[in-house]
Amino acid sequence: MTSELLIPLHVKYIQSLDNHKDDLAYHLTTHLRINGIYWGLTSLCIMGHQDALPREEMIDFVMSCWDEKAGAFGPHPDHDAHLLSTLSAIQILATQKALDRIDVKRVTDFLLSLQTASGVFAGDRFGETDTRFTYCAVNALSLLGQLGKLEGDRKERAIEHIKQCRNFDGGFGSSVGAESHAGQIFVCVAALAILDRLEEVDVPTLAWWLSERQLPNGGLNGRPEKLEDVCYSFWVLSAMAILDKVTWIDAEKLTSFILSAQDTEGGGIADRPGDMVDVFHTHFGVAGLSLLGYPGLEDLDPVYCMPAKLIEEMGLRKQWTALERRKLP
Amino acid sequence: MHGVRRARQTQEAIAAQKLKEKEKLQEYLSLTNDVLHRKKTNDFTQEALALTTRLLTANPEFYSIWNYRRDILTEGIFPQTSAKDVNDILLAELSLTMSFLRSHPKVYWIWNHRRWCLEHVPDDQGQQTIAWKQENWSKELYAVEKMLDADARNFHAWNYRRYVQASMPGKYSDADELKYTTKKIESNFSNFSAWHQRTKVLSSLWETGTLDMAASKDEEFELVKQALYVDPYDQSSWIYHRWLIGKGEDEGILKREIQVIEELSEVEPDCKWCLESLCHYKRLLLASFTHNEDQRIALVDACQSLLSRLQSIDPYRRNRYLELGEF
Repeated sequence: MTSELLIPLHVKYIQSLDNHKDDLAYHLTTHLRINGIYWGLTSLCIMGHQDALPREEMIDFVMSCWDEKAGAFGPHPDHDAHLLSTLSAIQILATQKALDRIDVKRVTDFLLSLQTASGVFAGDRFGETDTRFTYCAVNALSLLGQLGKLEGDRKERAIEHIKQCRNFDGGFGSSVGAESHAGQIFVCVAALAILDRLEEVDVPTLAWWLSERQLPNGGLNGRPEKLEDVCYSFWVLSAMAILDKVTWIDAEKLTSFILSAQDTEGGGIADRPGDMVDVFHTHFGVAGLSLLGYPGLEDLDPVYCMPAKLIEEMGLRKQWTALERRKLP
Repeated sequence: MHGVRRARQTQEAIAAQKLKEKEKLQEYLSLTNDVLHRKKTNDFTQEALALTTRLLTANPEFYSIWNYRRDILTEGIFPQTSAKDVNDILLAELSLTMSFLRSHPKVYWIWNHRRWCLEHVPDDQGQQTIAWKQENWSKELYAVEKMLDADARNFHAWNYRRYVQASMPGKYSDADELKYTTKKIESNFSNFSAWHQRTKVLSSLWETGTLDMAASKDEEFELVKQALYVDPYDQSSWIYHRWLIGKGEDEGILKREIQVIEELSEVEPDCKWCLESLCHYKRLLLASFTHNEDQRIALVDACQSLLSRLQSIDPYRRNRYLELGEF
């Protein structure tokens, strides 16, 4: 059990992720490669070590994921373009200040082409829809400075669909009729924040539901009567930060829970104490700690899930409140 | 990675593991290269299809390969296949993905592929099309029930269930779905996914007038009361109770339920959900049904005392209770 964030160890862990080319597991996850790089890079930025991964090589890799037929990014060379990988690609390039490498017109066309009649976005040409994809499209358009293209009827339909996914408990689901889930709540609330339509959120009810995600061990779950998991530290806290309600849970207990899920030998953070670590939970654990004001970390923007300083420089900052950063002891 | 325990391995054990994996890894990489090459060169043959089966069996999350497989079917196979055989191929796809779901019940891409199959049943065969669809969709409902038997909270399965019901010919009745949620809830009161589904189904039954709202609500209050008494520390039934109360438009119901909870609270004085719900419902009374100043003051006092008790028994949410106390 450790009471502090082992930054040097996590940096080393993230740097080592690409050294496993003789592991089957490394190759079984190629469909998540670009997302993995976004998680690794963003957590490094929050830990103050953006330069720990080589910039040029990273940008070249992202560009090698370009799917010429679709006009967007896949997660790995020769994989098909998808909204999930396209958002990660744009987030990486934005963080590396390399957005000029993108064919903005083609990507914008790709993003807009995926909006369906009901307003929700599809993930790719095969048509799976999910409120996650609406967030991906809105976030990506915003980072590219193209949010103006989602105007009038398009914008209203996107918002109307999110509203239809809202439940009596204040939460949101992945589709109309679906149960509230903290991950879907993050994407819906953050999309509404980017679209300047937070009045569609029933704040007292949703903040109540979110605060009830904290379990006696300090960790957060994603739905009632489910197990805690480090990644919900971000899904729940981001929505609470946007609603200015982070204080409605016990920050100290959650901080201890996240820290207890660290691998104190190999680095990285797991879903819960004693489990195998991965870059996804490492990122969302660090992101959660940043919103909790953990000392020594950089601010994370909960709307874009990117470094706050960068989002501010880009002129995209929305209203949100994290806990005040504590001083290093 | 979710729920996989961390095991500390020695360097020797890691090396041995890698050696064992080496052949498997080589095979996987060469298969991947082969399939991706065929994909790039638009190889839409049976042979390519068989290779995608092998690759997806090794890695059902490789979504680009699912995409390729669908392209092979629509571009290469279906154009030269009779409608009946197309339906049979789609049925085979459904059984293949069912076997994948058993080991990977939460992989979006597998659930997706099933939707695609069901939506590609040949549409131009008149009565035959209707019969196929009827049969396929009923099977699908059965399959998804099996998935929910294995994990009653799997939201992929619940979402898919709603999708199947909305899509099947001869719409599935809300009354039947209500019975299904009753069955799920009775087998486990803690299943919030089933309670959630119930809010949707009942809303629809009340809206269409199939059920009398007032009588049905009373039955629901009775059902949820049983659940509250079985385990007053479980959130699921409290959240459902809050849905039933809604904005608290009915003063009689509000007062009756406050009394029910007060009785439970006497038996379970440390149960925060009793106190939290009482506070919420009293605030609703305060907002809509205070008939004179004395009543108002009494309700504010009651809420304040509940909130101060909540601060001590539920300290994690202390700031919320403090904020709610600012009348």
